[in-house]
Amino acid sequence: MSIRRISAIFEKDIKDLMKNAELLVMLTAPILLTLLLNRSTNGKITIPILYMVIGGIFTLVASGTIMTMMAEEKEKKTLRGLIQSPALLLDIIIGKSLVTLIGTLITLTVSLLIMGIGPLMNFRAALGLIMLFLFFLLIGISMGLFTNSLASVSVYLILLTFLFGFTPLISTLGSLDKGSIAVKIIDKFPIVQAMAIHKTSSWQPCGIMAIWVTGAAIITYVCFRKAMTDN
Amino acid sequence: MAPFVINQEILTSGAFSPFYLAVGDFQATAIYSDPDIQHELVKDLRSNTDIPVFDHQDGLYMRLTVESNIAFFHKWFGCREPLSEILVRFELQHDAKKPLHKCSESEIRRVCFAKYYMSGVPSAVFCEPIHGADIKTIRTFVRMLQTMKEQPTAVLILVSNLEHALLVGDVVYKLQPSGIKPVETEEDAATPEPESAAAPAFAKLFKISAKVDEKMILFDPPEIDYIESQDGKAMIVINNEKYAMDATMMETEKKLEAYGFYRCHRSYIVNLQKVREIITWSKNAYSLRIDNKIQSTIPLSRTKIQDIQEKFNLE
Repeated sequence: MSIRRISAIFEKDIKDLMKNAELLVMLTAPILLTLLLNRSTNGKITIPILYMVIGGIFTLVASGTIMTMMAEEKEKKTLRGLIQSPALLLDIIIGKSLVTLIGTLITLTVSLLIMGIGPLMNFRAALGLIMLFLFFLLIGISMGLFTNSLASVSVYLILLTFLFGFTPLISTLGSLDKGSIAVKIIDKFPIVQAMAIHKTSSWQPCGIMAIWVTGAAIITYVCFRKAMTDN
Repeated sequence: MAPFVINQEILTSGAFSPFYLAVGDFQATAIYSDPDIQHELVKDLRSNTDIPVFDHQDGLYMRLTVESNIAFFHKWFGCREPLSEILVRFELQHDAKKPLHKCSESEIRRVCFAKYYMSGVPSAVFCEPIHGADIKTIRTFVRMLQTMKEQPTAVLILVSNLEHALLVGDVVYKLQPSGIKPVETEEDAATPEPESAAAPAFAKLFKISAKVDEKMILFDPPEIDYIESQDGKAMIVINNEKYAMDATMMETEKKLEAYGFYRCHRSYIVNLQKVREIITWSKNAYSLRIDNKIQSTIPLSRTKIQDIQEKFNLE
């Protein structure tokens, strides 16, 4: 790992981000969504709506940005001659994660300032947010390592948004039984657990989210190893 | 910094008979072959060695400017030479602020060269580096090669064009399915050609003959662009067409001297009437540009530069 290389990739990607219309739209879309929601609910943002926006931001910005950046490097073969060892690939991932972190922070802060940051101003909720970010970032990295083209990124992103970003919507979609297995599984999804933090005072939701993050980290590690042996 | 070796273990494709070749420092080795053989050779080198093959197919960041691209690679590879010097070295200083998607092919090629140069590898293979590039780009490549040789870097260049091979390579080989063999370069031009000087020189000869299939074609000397040596035989070149002659270079040189032809290189006899330009790539690399449809360039030996300037009454 080298700070020089990480900062090289970080500076390059920040400059590239500013000129990439696709990514800029991804970064600003959640803010527009927030503004619309805020207007239509007359400023009365409930916890489910708040987390729907947060889920949207995390999937589009955290997972989407890093996935797009990695897929583009692969598709345009810009990393040829740059990666000779796993350490160098790690440098690239860290540099890109930092760019993603900054993008997510900006979008999230603006959106939360519009909606009111009040409900999230406690330690457990903030911890939940951090774990959500890590989860979506790791999922984004593993999919970025996995895909080879920008076209497939949008497919994965739609799946990801539907499954993990807008999880609360799934339960309202169909007429699912309260006690069915599907509902029980969906109840354990990270966004739903993050909402549960506000309902109870126990640490159980945080624990379940930590398991999700660990799972995502393992998947990322497997994808990383696979990407290195493929080259 | 060790020179690298190409041997049987690397050459597994079977498209040509394996050979042993040591690529040394301080000199550039060029292999001249047809594109199919070159493709097989590159495939072998890629799969059986770690030596980077630079074929300028790498993607660059098209949205970013020339300077941002170079700055990224500069930092990534930890290049010690200052960024501004790199820009000047590759003649990119005037286009530094231009986004890459607006740059010409040749400018993009030079950014690629800069990337390869900054990667600082101990040995490198270049594949068709100057094919289709403009004069400025060829000149930066020749200069880059010079610096790389001094570092020293072992450099192997694969080209499918003899003129390019002679321009960039200090040692030139020709690779055919039957194997590899050295092409004479100017260094050994002092040794006379091993042939019988018995061929009579006709004082009054107005046509020069070449064979195509079963036909005998007769050319007027003024319509010939230049004569190229291939496997010891002379070839008449007119635009893109090549016609094999049934004579050696030395015989041809003697015959055509009277018509204003000049042996500008061990492997070339040029029609002086058709020379449009003398290009100086560096202190000791020159080419002649021919005034034909495809604007061919042919090598000019450094030992002959004085001579040719005298012929044109240049100072």
